[in-house]
Amino acid sequence: MSDPVRQPSGPPPSASTSEFLLTFGLLLLMIVLLLAFDTGLARVDKAATTASALQEYKSGQGLAAAGHLDDAIDHFRNAASLDRDHSVYTVALSQAILAQGRPGVAEQLLRPVLDRDANDGAANLELARVLVNEGKPDEAKSYYHRAIYGLWQGADAERNRTTARYELIDLLAQSGDKQDLLSELLPLQDEAQSDSARRRIAHLFVVAGSPERGSDMYRAILRQNPRDAEAYVGLADATMAVGNFTLARDHLEAAQKIAPEDSAIKARIALTDTVIAIDPTQRGLGLDEQLRRSRSLVQRTIAAARRCLDVQSPEVAAALDSVTRSLVASAASIPRAQAIEENLSIAGTLWRMRGSRCATQPRPDEEPLRLVQERIGQ
Amino acid sequence: MPRRKLPRVPKRIVELVEDLRKKEDRLALALSLVIGALVGLVVVAFILLTGRFAAYAYSSGGTGWRRLVIPVVGSLVAGYLLYRFFPLARGSGIPQTRAAVFIHDGRISIRSVIGKFMTTAITLASGIPLGREGPSMYIGAGLASSIGRRLGLSKNQVKWLLPVGGAAALSAAFNTPIAAVLFTLEEIMGDLHAPVLGSVVLASATAWMVLHLVLGDSPLFQVSGYHLVSPAELLIYALLGVVGGFVAVGFVKLLLWLRARFLRFPASTLWLQPVAGGLTVGILGFFVPQVMGVGYDQIERVLNGDVILKTVALLAVLKIIATCMSYASGNAGGIFGPSLFIGAMVGASVGGVAHLVFPASTAGPGAYALVGMGAAFAGIIRAPLTSVIMIFEVTRDYSIIVPLMIANLIAYYVSHRLQRETVYESLALQDGLHLPGGAFRARSGLWVTVALREPPQPLTPEMKVDEATMRIGDSDLESWPVTDEEGLVGMVRVNDVVDAATGSQRPVTIATIMKRARAATRSGDAAFPHVHSDQPLGLALARMGDTGHNTLPVVSRANAREIIGIITLVDVLKAYGVDTTRMTPVRGTPVVE
Repeated sequence: MSDPVRQPSGPPPSASTSEFLLTFGLLLLMIVLLLAFDTGLARVDKAATTASALQEYKSGQGLAAAGHLDDAIDHFRNAASLDRDHSVYTVALSQAILAQGRPGVAEQLLRPVLDRDANDGAANLELARVLVNEGKPDEAKSYYHRAIYGLWQGADAERNRTTARYELIDLLAQSGDKQDLLSELLPLQDEAQSDSARRRIAHLFVVAGSPERGSDMYRAILRQNPRDAEAYVGLADATMAVGNFTLARDHLEAAQKIAPEDSAIKARIALTDTVIAIDPTQRGLGLDEQLRRSRSLVQRTIAAARRCLDVQSPEVAAALDSVTRSLVASAASIPRAQAIEENLSIAGTLWRMRGSRCATQPRPDEEPLRLVQERIGQ
Repeated sequence: MPRRKLPRVPKRIVELVEDLRKKEDRLALALSLVIGALVGLVVVAFILLTGRFAAYAYSSGGTGWRRLVIPVVGSLVAGYLLYRFFPLARGSGIPQTRAAVFIHDGRISIRSVIGKFMTTAITLASGIPLGREGPSMYIGAGLASSIGRRLGLSKNQVKWLLPVGGAAALSAAFNTPIAAVLFTLEEIMGDLHAPVLGSVVLASATAWMVLHLVLGDSPLFQVSGYHLVSPAELLIYALLGVVGGFVAVGFVKLLLWLRARFLRFPASTLWLQPVAGGLTVGILGFFVPQVMGVGYDQIERVLNGDVILKTVALLAVLKIIATCMSYASGNAGGIFGPSLFIGAMVGASVGGVAHLVFPASTAGPGAYALVGMGAAFAGIIRAPLTSVIMIFEVTRDYSIIVPLMIANLIAYYVSHRLQRETVYESLALQDGLHLPGGAFRARSGLWVTVALREPPQPLTPEMKVDEATMRIGDSDLESWPVTDEEGLVGMVRVNDVVDAATGSQRPVTIATIMKRARAATRSGDAAFPHVHSDQPLGLALARMGDTGHNTLPVVSRANAREIIGIITLVDVLKAYGVDTTRMTPVRGTPVVE
């Protein structure tokens, strides 16, 4: 036989033209028949494997629900192997493997699914969860976004998107990424239907640094249900966040009237009282009281900083001593209003230094101090 | 072929067909497309039927006893069919395809094709851990052979059709169109520049398109992209190459040793011998089900990093035993798929240990499984180029090329050092067939450069024949180079110059003689016969035969008009060790002193 590239010579075929034509015709007929046969066979095969895969998937779901993860994984694996077109099987497999504590393997399974279809909502959501599990929240965020805006199969698409968004919101709230958190919350503001969902969003608005939006949502809830103690507590938190401690206390009292036995509300009231008691910027205070409170604030801040900063470090120790000395010295020599200003300024600087240098969050007993500092920082 | 009375065909169609038959290029094109499509469809049917049978045999919820019984029954049925009806359908099909190309003038009977289809389908569906790729190749080559003979093509033409059908089959069976071309040329033809290259590519692509048309676009294995974690990891990949090479040699030696034992049994037991393989698989499969079948799902699992070290190491060992027993005992099926399985398990074992010891600086075991597949394939099949391309095609993962190449070449080298003949050559040798192999080709690698000699002072086109005759003198060269200011323009026969010098139309120039010679041979002005120093001597011989020049210019590859030497027939024969002093002098064959 010859070749379009190089041509070894050979005699023409010995079959007659009619035989040649007949053979070619038969070959073409065979191709058509085989194509029909293969297509039919492929359909039968596809239907059978799809059914088997579904059966395996259901068995896997049952086993997973009963806590038999190893067996469930076998079934999910069979399903995924039989039917690659349905990524839900691979997602279920990776879910089970993740539950087994093997996020690396789960990730390896999900990557090819997303290579095939980067918009697969379920696979994106699952990979985001895997990445969170692996301690890669930044990478996980982009997969949450893809899950939110990706394609979902079935009727639960919107619910799944909302689930993905809430998981992302929780992740952002945990990581303190207020800007991104706020931008994720805004689309949910009008979507939330139940009171619990609205309370959750309102709370997250407060966490995201937008307490005004949180207050608005809580007030809307209270308009519809004035006996919602949780909403009053949330509203109190939002009000505290904007620095209106007195009003926050009023909301807490309203909550306590609805739920007088709630110890958490009592504790919140106690906290608010402490904050009001130490806040040097409260309205109606005389200059002496403001000065006293401002000094107290500086001392509390120094104490908080000492607890977390490396006080053994000569630099830090020297800086703190210097602040204390200047506080005592300046009190006698400058006007009170100026002293108050400087104290608040020193306290703010120290608090920010503490925030930037300390790995640990403020202790529970430092919560009043934190609230006052945030109020002053505004 | 017996002539039969056929219906009258319209004249126009007859003309078209005649035209097609006369022009070999067009015939090759048409046959490549037809064979590619037909073979592709047959292989797709083979894949689907085998898969369906296997699904029925091992339906969900079946008991463990099935794993013991079905391989035994399957091998018994296939063994009887092979013994009674299809004796040529035994084994993988690749040595048989090569035997058909190199020994049987391209003849593969349609009966053995049908037998291969049936017995392999039964064998694979019953869980025997052999591959479908080699048998598919035989089926494809056999169909091409039948078509060629049916069309009344010459033996030589039919022979050239076999790689076309084989490549189409492999392309569809493995979903690897490029690797199919390379394997066919590298392993079946033994020449990457074989004249059938174009047809093979066309048929492979056609079969691949058919596969995609019917079964859709999906790689054999779906894996996530792997990459090199640190440069030091290359050392571990190199080590994997070494391990892969040793495992490959162990596998091949065990396979050949077992087969040699089976070949000693009386011929009357041939029908029963495959049961030994089936029983081995059944027993192993009863305890470790992953040993059964070709195990592509298990490979994918390991490629995705789902590895338990003890399990993959155990599977590598058990698969070697099961495959060797199955193949050696005469079951129908190939070793393509099993070699990938073994490689993946070996790679995952090495990678698993490496990741355990150096977790921060190594990729997961899946990456090593991927590279291990290529290493084992390169070591067992001994087709390193095919191996690299095939791994890319079955995974569509191009991100780990360097480790893959390193491991492949090392495995190939280790395997080559420890086992001279390739597995297919050795299998053919066990059957008494002496097929040309890689080692043979390497030993016969004589190049033009060994017979190269300094060119004589060239003639010029405007030179008169008297002057040319004086320059030629009593040289033993039959042809003389002619150059102009830009370099070589061709060769002129010394006899033509001498004839012109003694003829009546003097004075004539060298250009005139060359023009007459070209007109006589109908060759164009642009091309003149030549060779390059890095080409094989066999090619120089063939070119001398084609052109009738016993002296050829050796020219630069960068500039074909730059002559760097000449090569003569006598020099070629001497390089081959032929004692030219004893040759009977014939016209045109000078005798050296």
